[in-house]
Amino acid sequence: MVHITFFLALAAILFCIGLYGVLTRRHLVIVLVCVELMLMAVSINLIAFSAIGPSAGIEGQVFTLFIISVAAAEVAVGLAILIALYRNRESIDVIKHDLLRW
Amino acid sequence: MLLANDANWSLMTPEIVLAALALIIFTIDFMTDIKGKKPFLGRLSIISLLITAVLVLFTNNDGGTIGHVFVVDSFSMVFKLIILVGVALVIGISMYYLDKHEDIYQGEYYSLMLFATLGAMLMVSSADLIVLFVGLEILSISSYCLAAFKKYNRKSTEAGIKYVVLGGTASAFILYGMSFLYGLTGTTSIVEIREAIPTLWVDYTWVIAMSFLFMLAGFGFKISAVPFHMWAPDVYEGSPTPVTAFLSVVSKLAGFAIVLRLFFVTFENIYVEWAFTFAVIAALTMVIGNFIALTQKNVKRLMAYSGIAQAGYLLVPIAAVVTEADTFTMIAFYGMAYVLMTLGAFAIIILVTEDSGKEDMSSFKGLWERSPYMAVAMSVFLISLAGLPLTLGFWGKAYIFFGAVAAGMTWLAVVMIVTSVVSFFYYFGIIRQMFMREPEPTDQEIKVPVYLSVVVTICLAVTVALAFIPSIVMDWLQGLTWMGMF
Repeated sequence: MVHITFFLALAAILFCIGLYGVLTRRHLVIVLVCVELMLMAVSINLIAFSAIGPSAGIEGQVFTLFIISVAAAEVAVGLAILIALYRNRESIDVIKHDLLRW
Repeated sequence: MLLANDANWSLMTPEIVLAALALIIFTIDFMTDIKGKKPFLGRLSIISLLITAVLVLFTNNDGGTIGHVFVVDSFSMVFKLIILVGVALVIGISMYYLDKHEDIYQGEYYSLMLFATLGAMLMVSSADLIVLFVGLEILSISSYCLAAFKKYNRKSTEAGIKYVVLGGTASAFILYGMSFLYGLTGTTSIVEIREAIPTLWVDYTWVIAMSFLFMLAGFGFKISAVPFHMWAPDVYEGSPTPVTAFLSVVSKLAGFAIVLRLFFVTFENIYVEWAFTFAVIAALTMVIGNFIALTQKNVKRLMAYSGIAQAGYLLVPIAAVVTEADTFTMIAFYGMAYVLMTLGAFAIIILVTEDSGKEDMSSFKGLWERSPYMAVAMSVFLISLAGLPLTLGFWGKAYIFFGAVAAGMTWLAVVMIVTSVVSFFYYFGIIRQMFMREPEPTDQEIKVPVYLSVVVTICLAVTVALAFIPSIVMDWLQGLTWMGMF
């Protein structure tokens, strides 16, 4: 059997990739994808704990289902706002959206 | 094993009623014209919120729980009441704003605001990580939509996208922290996690500490505590002004309620280990919030930094606990004062900025000559926010100050006093504009619409009345059992 550490390491790596992407990428769609990546890292964590964790149980899988559905709602709203932004500004480059600062 | 038939669903009455009323308002919206003004929906929303508030007052008094997932106690009652009254006042302000802005789809605005309130109520009552997360996301996703509500406005959509990306990241942080708590304990109930924490802290110190810090970063974002505050000024400036009022009051207080519930229940047994983290964050929040506010010229941005600073004052009782009941009392009292002062101030800010068309501080020039009542009311709110003696804000700060001294956190109390003195400068900057500057020759007397003057009068009356007799509310709060269940 695969030890749980490998799953936790995979989740940690995915979480870091996601966070790095949110902080550095300029394309807003990629940024939203990276937010999803972070949430999916959490899901891997929960499923690993729920299957082979020290105190395994069904709650982790239930939690994951909630995360998947909520993440879908969040991205739907995010993409809708992104389209509104594109119509106003003709660009979805992060660097160009600097009306609000300091 | 809990069966759906055995659960005492009547405890959820206020939430169910509010959800039903919000859906009814949503339905009425698409049965009427797509565009056009819909003031009746605003009135209906206010009535729904007041009905829910009355239900909360009657059903949440005794306390009870649905399968240790949804808890009803004095703590949830107090915070739900503050949130519901706050949202009712925000909708009162919004009705004037929506009247001026035809490009906003009006019905959706009200129903989204009610759904956000529902999410906040679920959060306040949750005793389970899953319920907490769902409530938090109902509140957050509705807030994202509200922040970007002027969809033809460049600033508003930019604020919306910033809020979505950063809010989603904060949610991921909270969840990542929670996943380790679940992994080590095998349960999502915060009561059961609390039982397991002392032994886990010995065995898995680093995992618990990491989980705590991840959740702290996520919730710190929601309550806009430094160093997780960078989104707040941008989103507050870009959003429609009533939404700014909503975010700075309702979102923030719901965040505080859940920080109290989660950290004081789950991590109570290892309080000494994490209290200092909160002390550092509180000090940073007060210092940075107040000092950056000094440099701001835009009124909404100024209020954003002022809100950050106020969050710092609210964090002090968490870092310096005498007894838990005292901490809850201080935060509930100051939170209530904060809602009244901030919403009153925002009502007048909307009046002035809509009249002049710009959000600069100078739009307050000569308000005394243009509308004396509003100028006096604004001064009362600002003086109270600054915490000058014998105002409501002063009593709230005084309780927090003496609590911090009693808990042996004198340095934190000193930081609080010094930063409060700093805050006088920017609050008095607005007062100086109102009383000591001449209005522009073209400025006319401001006509105050009825909804705004009602909101301002309510906030003013309660702020002034409680400044003289704060003991009424204090005694009531101190007599509560708060989280009697745990």
